[in-house]
Amino acid sequence: MSETKILEGIELLRHLSLVFGPTGSEEEVADEIIKQLENTDAQIIRDRMSNVFAVLHGKNRPEKTVMLSAHMDEVGFIIKDIDGEGYVRFGCLGGIDPRVLCGRKVTFRGKDGDVSGVIASKAIHHQSAEERKNATKANDMYVDIGATSKEDAESVLSRGDSGTFDSEFVIFGENDGYAKCKALDDRLGCVVMIETLRKIKEENIDLPFDLICAFTVREEIGISGATAAAHRFRPDYAIVLETTAIADLPDVPKNSRVSEVGNGGVVSLMDRSTIYNRDFVDGAMKIAEENGIPAQIKRYVSGGNDAGHIHKTADGTRTLAISAPTRYLHSASCVVSLKDFESIKSHVYAILTSYQF
Amino acid sequence: MEHKIDLTELTLSLASLMSVTGHTRHSKDKLIELVSPYFDEIRETRLGNYHLIRRCGKENAKRILVDAHFDEIGMIVTEIKEGGFLTVTSIGGLDTRILQASEVIIYGEGRDIYGVVGSTPPHLQKPGEANKLREITALLIDTGYSKEELEKYVSIGTPIGFKPIYTKLRNNRIAGKGFDDKACAAAAIAAVAEIPADELWGDVYLQLSNYEEAGGFMSGAATGAYEVNPVCAIVADVDLATTPDTKKSETVPLDGGVSLSTGPITDKRLTSLLRKLADEKEIKHQMSVTAGGTGTNTMVINLVRNGIPTVDIGLPLRSMHTSNEVISMNDAAAMRDIIALFVTSSEIEKEVCPNE
Repeated sequence: MSETKILEGIELLRHLSLVFGPTGSEEEVADEIIKQLENTDAQIIRDRMSNVFAVLHGKNRPEKTVMLSAHMDEVGFIIKDIDGEGYVRFGCLGGIDPRVLCGRKVTFRGKDGDVSGVIASKAIHHQSAEERKNATKANDMYVDIGATSKEDAESVLSRGDSGTFDSEFVIFGENDGYAKCKALDDRLGCVVMIETLRKIKEENIDLPFDLICAFTVREEIGISGATAAAHRFRPDYAIVLETTAIADLPDVPKNSRVSEVGNGGVVSLMDRSTIYNRDFVDGAMKIAEENGIPAQIKRYVSGGNDAGHIHKTADGTRTLAISAPTRYLHSASCVVSLKDFESIKSHVYAILTSYQF
Repeated sequence: MEHKIDLTELTLSLASLMSVTGHTRHSKDKLIELVSPYFDEIRETRLGNYHLIRRCGKENAKRILVDAHFDEIGMIVTEIKEGGFLTVTSIGGLDTRILQASEVIIYGEGRDIYGVVGSTPPHLQKPGEANKLREITALLIDTGYSKEELEKYVSIGTPIGFKPIYTKLRNNRIAGKGFDDKACAAAAIAAVAEIPADELWGDVYLQLSNYEEAGGFMSGAATGAYEVNPVCAIVADVDLATTPDTKKSETVPLDGGVSLSTGPITDKRLTSLLRKLADEKEIKHQMSVTAGGTGTNTMVINLVRNGIPTVDIGLPLRSMHTSNEVISMNDAAAMRDIIALFVTSSEIEKEVCPNE
C-alpha cells in the first residue's frame, strides 16, 4: 500500500484536477480527497453515491450547522455506441458547447484501464461552403481511438464507459499568474475546502457550529448529490464553492463581463436557480472588505449551481455562493487566476471565523 | 530490414517544430541538427526551401527530386489588445472548428508564449448562436500577460502554432499537429538516410519545400524544382483518409498502405512501374484516383522547365488541418520503403532516362 503524499496549494490543485471523475463516476476523486483529508480532524462519511462528507463537530453543544459544498464531478462523455469501424459515438455529461469538442484529446476509462482518443468529424475538405458555417453537433462527432475494427475497439471499451477531456495542468502568463486545466470546475472548490479544514486544525480553532464540508457528485447534470447532502445535514447556512463563467474579454461591455479574473472570488446575488440570502451576501462582502481580501459581486444573472438545490431542500438553508472567476468554462482549457484561488481561501476562512451565524 | 532511424521518433521531432508558412526559418537550427548527419550538403533557397543533398558518387550524376513540404498551417497576430488578448488570422486552410479552447504557442521575439484560444461564453450568446461557427477573426487568444509586457515580445505578424502534444492511439497510430506534411518529410529523410551512396542511381535532392499551404500557389516547390533541375520527381504529401462521413471513392483508408496517385497529371508509366516494383518488394500500397489536380506540389513541379515526370504518393491522414491529425506509422513505413525503392531502382532509372 503506497504512502499518501500530502499535497498543498497549487500542487494539490494540479493533482486533483487531473484525477478522472466525470459526472456519475466520481469514485476516484472521492478516494483521493479522503487521502488528502488524513491530516485534518474531520470525521469522514462516504455515502453510496460517493458523496464525501468531512464533519467537524463544534465546541460544546452547538445549535447551528454550516455546510461548505463543492462538487467532485467534471463535465465529460459517455459512450453510446461503437460503430462498425470501431469509432466511438458519445454523449456529453453536462453542458459542453460543441464548438470546444472538435479535435480534442480525450480519455475513456475502459474495463482494463484508460484509452486515449481524439474527437473528430468530417474533414473540412469534404464539407460544402454551407456546412462549413455551422458547428458540428456532438452526436455527429465520434472518437477515434485508432481501432481497426469494431471488435478491436470493443476489446477495450464498452457502451456506457465514461470519459473526460485529456488536458494538462499548465501555469502560464506574466508572473505565472494563471492556471489552465480541465476540471478546475470544481476541483478548485474541493481544494479550497481541504485547505480550509487543514487551516482550522493548524490555527487550533474551535468553531461554534458544526462544519460539514460536502464533496458532492453529479452537479453537472443538475441531478445533484448536493440535494442528498442538504437533506442529511439540514444545514442552517451553506456556502457553495464553485467556478463561474467570465467574459472579461476586450470588446465585451462592462455590464456583460460578469466579473473580472484577478479581482477575487465572485459572490452571487442571483442566478438562474437561486436568489441568495441578502444578509449573508452583505455580511460576506463586508468581511472581505474589513480583511482586505479581494471579492466581487457577480454582475450578470447567469448560470446555476448546487445552491439551487441546497437552499430549498427540506426546510431550507440560507445560502451563499463564492465562485472562482473562470474563462472557457466547460472546456478542456478552463483558466483561473492563482491570485483568486488564494483570495477565495482567505475569504472562506474569514467568513467561518468571523460571521455571526 | 533493420532500420537505424526510429521513424516514429523522427516524425514526432520534425512535426513538433514550428514551421508556419513563411516562418520556416524559425526552426532552421533544430532542423539542421536533426538531419545533417544523413546528408552531404544542406542548402536554403531564396524562397525558403531546404535542399538536403545526398550524392551517389557517380560522374555527371542525374538528379532525383524527392519533395515533401515543410511548411505547416498556423496563425499570425493581427492585433494586441488590452488584457493581453490577441486577435489572429489563419495561414493556410486551418480547420477553425478546432480552435476554441485550443492551446497554442505564440512564437514571439526571444520568447515562446503559451496561449489559450477563447471566446465569449455561452450565457452571452443569442439563441441559435451556439450552432454557428465563429470566424477566426472573432476569436481571442488569452496569454495571461498585460498588453505592455506582451508587446515586448509580440507584434503584428508574429506567428502562432498549435501546441505540440502527441498521443499514441491503438494499432501504431498517432495523433498530433504537423503531420501534414512533416510525417512525409520524416519518411523521406529516413528512406534516403539509410541507403548506401553507391546504391543510389542519382544524386538525391530531398526538398523540404515552403509555401505549399499558402502564398502564391506552391511557389516554393516550383522554384526549388527549377533550381534542382531533376530528371524526375516523387512528391510525398498527406492524403484524405476514410472516416465515417466520407465516400470510399474520394478517400484512402488508414493502414491501406502508401497511396499512389493515378490521374491526368502524374506520369502514368512511372507510376505503374513503381506500383509493380512495390508489389515485388511487398510494400503495402493502394490507389488514389484524382480527376484533376492532386492538391499537392505535383501540380506545379510537373510543369517546371520542360516538364518533369512526377510520381505523387500519399500518406493517409484523418482530421487534416487540425491539431490532432491521425496517421498510421505502418503507412509511414510503407512510404519510406517506396521512396527508397524509387531512388535505388535501375528499372526506374531506365524508365526516366531510356537513352542512356
